[in-house]
Amino acid sequence: MNLFDSLTISGSALTAERQRSEIIAANLANAETTHTEAGGPFKRREVVFESAGTSSFRLAMASSTGFSGRTPGTVSVSNVVDDPSPSVMRYEPGHPDANKDGYVSYPAINPAMEMVDLMGSVRSYQLNASAVTAAKQMIQQTIDILKS
Amino acid sequence: MITPPAGLGSIGSISGLPTMKPLGAQDTGEGFSGVLKNALQQVNQLSGGATQQIGTLLQGGNADMSSVMIAVEKADVAFQLMMQVRNKIVSAYQDVEKMQF
Repeated sequence: MNLFDSLTISGSALTAERQRSEIIAANLANAETTHTEAGGPFKRREVVFESAGTSSFRLAMASSTGFSGRTPGTVSVSNVVDDPSPSVMRYEPGHPDANKDGYVSYPAINPAMEMVDLMGSVRSYQLNASAVTAAKQMIQQTIDILKS
Repeated sequence: MITPPAGLGSIGSISGLPTMKPLGAQDTGEGFSGVLKNALQQVNQLSGGATQQIGTLLQGGNADMSSVMIAVEKADVAFQLMMQVRNKIVSAYQDVEKMQF
């Protein structure tokens, strides 16, 4: 553990939360998208967070080499997965994406739910920003010891 | 008879631990100035990294704002610590200088 680890960990959380809110924003923006490059309606996406391991091997590596690729405890987005729930069919015979029965498949996205997720993400970002401030203050106070 | 667990004998031979040298012993350049130089280099490295990241961010590059802020914060804190250590050293030097004989 060095002086900057708490800053690194909180910083990684800030990055991860920003990526999460990007994905949620994409879900909101594409709530009515019926046409994608891959064909079919837009698929709702979700992020999967992963914590850097605190395995004894990694800790031993970090302490013996003095350098570890990732600080134990940092969080990152390991994967972005599609929501498997089926798309919603709506009867719109005039729509260019309608099937032969006149139904258009819309993404199964509930904007209210996405908004709640977004609020959660924003709050989490706030929380980690506070943790950064706290870590900064702690370091500052440590440096102040040296001042006469 | 109790046999000691394997590997117990090797505890005393952990390498890489800093060893205290007696005052006045001629060491191989890695003295206080070496430590200071090393610290200064690390501070410089942090500050250089922060400058580079700010440049990327300002040019609209693919830089993450939060990680840039963290890098700037690290560089700032490291510089402050270095500055305080320097002040302490200078004041110690001045104290010695003012010594009355």
